[in-house]
Amino acid sequence: MAEETGGLIPPETLAMVGELLGEPVSAEITAKEAQRYAQAVGDLDPIYFDEAAAKAAGYRGLVAPPTFVSHVVVQGQPLDRLREDGLFRTGARAMPLRVRRSMFGGEEWDFLEPACVGDTITAESRLKAIEEKQGGSGAFVLTTRETTYTNRRGEVVARARQIGIAR
Amino acid sequence: MSAQICYEDVHEGMELPAMVKNASRAQLFLYSAATWNPHRIHYDKDYAATEGHPDVLVHGPLQGAWLSQYVTSWAGPRGRMLNLSWQNRRSGLPERDLTFRGRVTRVSRGGGRGVVDLEVWEEDPDGNVLMPGTARVSLPLKG
Repeated sequence: MAEETGGLIPPETLAMVGELLGEPVSAEITAKEAQRYAQAVGDLDPIYFDEAAAKAAGYRGLVAPPTFVSHVVVQGQPLDRLREDGLFRTGARAMPLRVRRSMFGGEEWDFLEPACVGDTITAESRLKAIEEKQGGSGAFVLTTRETTYTNRRGEVVARARQIGIAR
Repeated sequence: MSAQICYEDVHEGMELPAMVKNASRAQLFLYSAATWNPHRIHYDKDYAATEGHPDVLVHGPLQGAWLSQYVTSWAGPRGRMLNLSWQNRRSGLPERDLTFRGRVTRVSRGGGRGVVDLEVWEEDPDGNVLMPGTARVSLPLKG
């Protein structure tokens, strides 16, 4: 089990379950950013580009693609913070594990309210769960990080659980 | 506006029409830019090789966004996607057809709408499933 010393999950990491993984971040959804994103995805749904189409579909106004909320809250960083692999050194709280490699395992999204252009979205991430498991090629760690996206009206727009696999 | 699919049009076991994506390197570059994602495995093939990849990789969240597009475009303008989950099982590569498929696994009614559960997935040209997933959508009733 994960509690054993000598496992892949140090006790201080196990103790982080339920805690915030960084400061909450807020950002406003602009039409330009949401539309550039939709164009980069190749999703030209009129509800992202044509206000009349969005209203006819029952929205308050132009909508952002559902998972765009996870990108709008990404903050810019100077280039001297880039690492060898191209990623930025982040201010996110370190989650030490006794592993060599981390992979992206998947995501689970609940969509509760539309995210519209003009909305300011606040993202708050917590370590939801961490578990050591045995697989065909040895022990690995499953981490679940849950991010809640809330608008200024206090409505939860979406919840995303990101699954990480480390071994 | 595209035709609206309604709850009455849907039945368990029904297959969704396939959607094909084929990412150019320019698309990967623009997606990196639009999401402020500087990860080198998405633009530097030589670097990607040092991590054991045969080419630059399609971003996991981009494939997730395609899966989202697959579900929302099927559900139509008055449909609403309630949940979407996926597992990133294998890497996606640019310049090849990645096909999204799905089928209806369950239908139910409630609150003047229909609720439809879907099994959805993305496969490569060899039929390997890169990304299995599930979704739940709310559809309007007819009339």
